Amino acid sequence: MSTYKPKNFKILKIIEETPNIKTFTLKPLDETKFNFHTGQFIELTVYGIGEAPFTPSSSPYETETIDLTIMRVGRMTEVLHSMKEGDIVGVRGPYGKGYPVEEFKNKEVLIIGGGVGLAPLRSLILTLIERISEFKKIILCYGARTPQDVVYKYIFPKWKKIKGLEILRSVDRCQVDEWDETIGVVTCLLDKINVDVKNTVAIVCGPPIMMKFTTLKLVEKKFKPQQIYLSMERNMSCGLGKCGHCQIGSYFICKDGPVFSWEQLKDIPEPFE
Amino acid sequence: MKIHINYKEFIDKLKEMFDKGDWISCSNSHFFKLQSINDFDKVELTTIRPTEPIKIFLFQYRSNIIENIKKNKTLFLLGVKNCDLQAIKVLDKMFISEYIDENYKNLRESIIIFSSDCPKPNQTCFCAILNSKPYIDNESYSTDINISFIDEKNLILESFSEKGEEILKNYFSNFAQPTKTDFEKRDSIRDFALKKILEFNNEFLKEEKKEKYYKTLKNTYELDNVWQKESEKCVQCGGCNFICPSCYCFLIREYSKSYNEKNRDRVWDVCHFTGYSRVAGGANPRKYKYQRFRNRYQCKFVYRYENFNFYACTGCGRCIEVCPAKIDIRKVIRNLLLAKGEEILV
Ligand SMILES: Cc1cc2nc3c(=O)[nH]c(=O)nc-3n(C[C@H](O)[C@H](O)[C@H](O)COP(=O)(O)OP(=O)(O)OC[C@H]3O[C@@H](n4cnc5c(N)ncnc54)[C@H](O)[C@@H]3O)c2cc1C
Ligand code: SF4
Ligand code: SF4
Ligand code: FES
Repeated sequence: MSTYKPKNFKILKIIEETPNIKTFTLKPLDETKFNFHTGQFIELTVYGIGEAPFTPSSSPYETETIDLTIMRVGRMTEVLHSMKEGDIVGVRGPYGKGYPVEEFKNKEVLIIGGGVGLAPLRSLILTLIERISEFKKIILCYGARTPQDVVYKYIFPKWKKIKGLEILRSVDRCQVDEWDETIGVVTCLLDKINVDVKNTVAIVCGPPIMMKFTTLKLVEKKFKPQQIYLSMERNMSCGLGKCGHCQIGSYFICKDGPVFSWEQLKDIPEPFE
Repeated sequence: MKIHINYKEFIDKLKEMFDKGDWISCSNSHFFKLQSINDFDKVELTTIRPTEPIKIFLFQYRSNIIENIKKNKTLFLLGVKNCDLQAIKVLDKMFISEYIDENYKNLRESIIIFSSDCPKPNQTCFCAILNSKPYIDNESYSTDINISFIDEKNLILESFSEKGEEILKNYFSNFAQPTKTDFEKRDSIRDFALKKILEFNNEFLKEEKKEKYYKTLKNTYELDNVWQKESEKCVQCGGCNFICPSCYCFLIREYSKSYNEKNRDRVWDVCHFTGYSRVAGGANPRKYKYQRFRNRYQCKFVYRYENFNFYACTGCGRCIEVCPAKIDIRKVIRNLLLAKGEEILV
């Protein structure tokens, strides 16, 4: 089969997360299992419209279905958001290298997400939860623009009960009485946490501007470049390290990433925009 | 295997092979398909590479990527120059290492190359100050048989692969081995061509500076103003990308009628275009023209050099000929080296 030919998946379920973000649960039409490593991405096709990269937000331990959490931002995602349960889409992949979970063992894992950037991080958190005793502790700092923009609202009550998983959330702005957690950009949560920097890894995913300021803040807090992991976004087409689009320095984000350590990127000019 | 043969006999032998596959011959503008046996009489072996980029045989401008290209009949490429072998080296690295692109692979495997030395280089040729020489030797990449003229009427044929060896055995085994004098004649023609190229490029770059291109182009971010100046006249037409034999970027266009009638194309793409790097929401890591212009140079002289340890520019000079703004890649590099305080013209 051609490398570029997608397999058909059926949309089983759609959850409306926020006014412009939906989570789609997909299942292969031929009922085969779908295996991926957390942090890897897939190429999703809306037939006749276009194809774009997304990172599954579900646990890799779930192999019957995959979840994709997708923000409506342009041509293809617009059409996708108008699709219904039962509709057929195309998937190829998984591609790239995911999170190096084994390297997080016996460490404090600090996860920082912004907006729809929580999608891949949810997959990571679900992976870590499965084997939570292997990590010193897990801290999630999540920021959204407003309380309406918070994704996975239904999951947080469950997660907050898990021992070894600490959760801090912030919104940039809100109405009076609408939010009883932190108000401010996500980086201000980093002043509230207590980690042993030497034995911590930080994993960041969010919009470019958030990734930039979070990285700067972590560096200021004495995180070493090799302790910081970033999920990078670039224009992509092939997903296979051939079409050139996602090039960042001598790396191809699709093939060598999308997860990179800051050590790999710090000398590349303008890594965020 | 090496043999001495005269040109007429050589062409007659090729005629015997006509129905073994499709035959493409080079001219200085196009690659031509030979329509009949008589077309072998029009073959030109001593022109520089065609203007058309050799990648059209491996990775067409627009191609369907849903259907696998079947192993088609053999495609004989006649008169391929060393710079274009170097281009195939880059394309092979991109398309058939790590993930395999089956369509590329199938086309690649159907090709048999009769390369030839390049005795009459152009003013725009600069292969010899980068990776390769204007002739084919053991350092050249992947040819099957090479043809070297040693005078007006006589050639040396040399095989470089098993397929090439087999062809020489099957069709040319009655011919004599080249003599010492033949090789001396060949060497002097080769030396002449090499000297010509170095002479043409004297004002730009010198061969012994070649590893400096990487170092200089890698860290030129403090030279934003030089990049801005060099790219000032660029109209972002993408001509240099399209014509470049080692530019491999492409875009996938989705045209499926439905999920059971899949259809998608791969088309050549251009890193000079703003849409190339634009991401959803409109952000663009290479917003300004000079950043996109710089990317094309860094892709070839820095990034692919770091990946493969050779330059992804072949020195074929096609982009120099095609540019409506008369931008010359050699001058751009020279000006960067100068701005970095490198001595160029010593
Ligand atoms: C590794 C990775 C993981 C990602 N994970 C997620 C995720 O989990 N959730 C999420 O919401 N987002 C994710 N994204 C971002 C997501 O890929 C983009 O939001 C998506 O590409 C938007 O597509 P669009 O067509 O709706 O947007 P547009 O802005 O319309 O297009 C985006 C890009 O597609 C190209 N394009 C647009 N129109 C055309 C056309 N007509 N022909 C050809 N090309 C066109 C353009 O080059 C443009 O830069 C991820 C991105 C990457 C790289
Ligand atoms: S950049 Fe110009 S000289 Fe170099 S390979 Fe491409 S077309 Fe030829
Ligand atoms: S051919 Fe010349 S004008 Fe056109 S994009 Fe290339 S450098 Fe710019
Ligand atoms: S998406 Fe094509 S090279 Fe990465």
